[in-house]
Amino acid sequence: MNPFRALLLAVLTLVPLVVRAATIEMHVNGLVCAFCAQGIEKKLRKFPATADVVVSLEQRLVAVALKDGQDIPDAELRKALTNAGYTVRTIERSDTPIDVIRSRLGQPKP
Amino acid sequence: MIRSSEILGGALVLIGPVCALSKPIAFANGTTVMVEYGAGTMQEAQIFYAPQYNYSVGGGHVEFDSDVTSESERVTYARLNYLLHRWNLESAQANVFVWGGAGGATGSTFSGTEFAVNAGAQADYETRRVYASLKTDLQKASAFSIRVDTLQLGVAPYEHEYNQIATWVVVQARQYTDDIHHGTEVAVLLRLFKGGAWVEAGITNGGKLQAMAMFNF
Repeated sequence: MNPFRALLLAVLTLVPLVVRAATIEMHVNGLVCAFCAQGIEKKLRKFPATADVVVSLEQRLVAVALKDGQDIPDAELRKALTNAGYTVRTIERSDTPIDVIRSRLGQPKP
Repeated sequence: MIRSSEILGGALVLIGPVCALSKPIAFANGTTVMVEYGAGTMQEAQIFYAPQYNYSVGGGHVEFDSDVTSESERVTYARLNYLLHRWNLESAQANVFVWGGAGGATGSTFSGTEFAVNAGAQADYETRRVYASLKTDLQKASAFSIRVDTLQLGVAPYEHEYNQIATWVVVQARQYTDDIHHGTEVAVLLRLFKGGAWVEAGITNGGKLQAMAMFNF
């Protein structure tokens, strides 16, 4: 194979893995009570791709840390939160580590 | 003589912070266990499982002991709770629940066990700082018909975070029909919860203990 083609193929294969989101942040309406929000955490932790979950009532935010190379489709996330009784406003993906989000929210590491 | 329900009420105070907004459905695939000591006039225990976030099934046992007459009733029931509507707002949540069930009742004014029906509804509104709920619950058999109406207004001194203990000060006003209690029973309650455990306890205007514990898992 042409070395240039081989390099291009390698880049096209590896780049998506490198830039794949590490964390999914969801803004959720109705998130006012820790006692009730535990249902959200329980549901999200059941996804095989979930590494960790952080909930902030102050920011109305639910963040899911993904396992390396894995993902959860938006439709599955919306379904999980809707079935938990909440309304999802936004779903955003980033490569921000979950501990950075924890720190931003002023929450201690578990 | 001390009744078992009074021992239970005392135990709730001793175990400390366990039971903001009591809901018959916590979350999908969740189980809720609740016990309440209601100032010596109403003691209740319930267990419900929610296959989905909008309904739960289970049962309970309630004991009424009139502080006006010597009348008492015991009802054991199976019940379906249904979330009629939920409003998920940016910084608040509101719900309307209804429930209905049936079971058996015994009492001091009749012999044997009577068929009894149970029906009720609850409307609530909650932010991280204020909370209000209005609940009505009817237990009816041919020998009695007892309705308990409960209004709760709560204020949180701080906005709790998911991993913190939530603290609420709640004023509860309750009225009973069928000569269980005359007038409005008012209680001031301290409510604490964290994770799946919730405890509340307080004193009524009659100087009696009002307490509740609830666990979600």
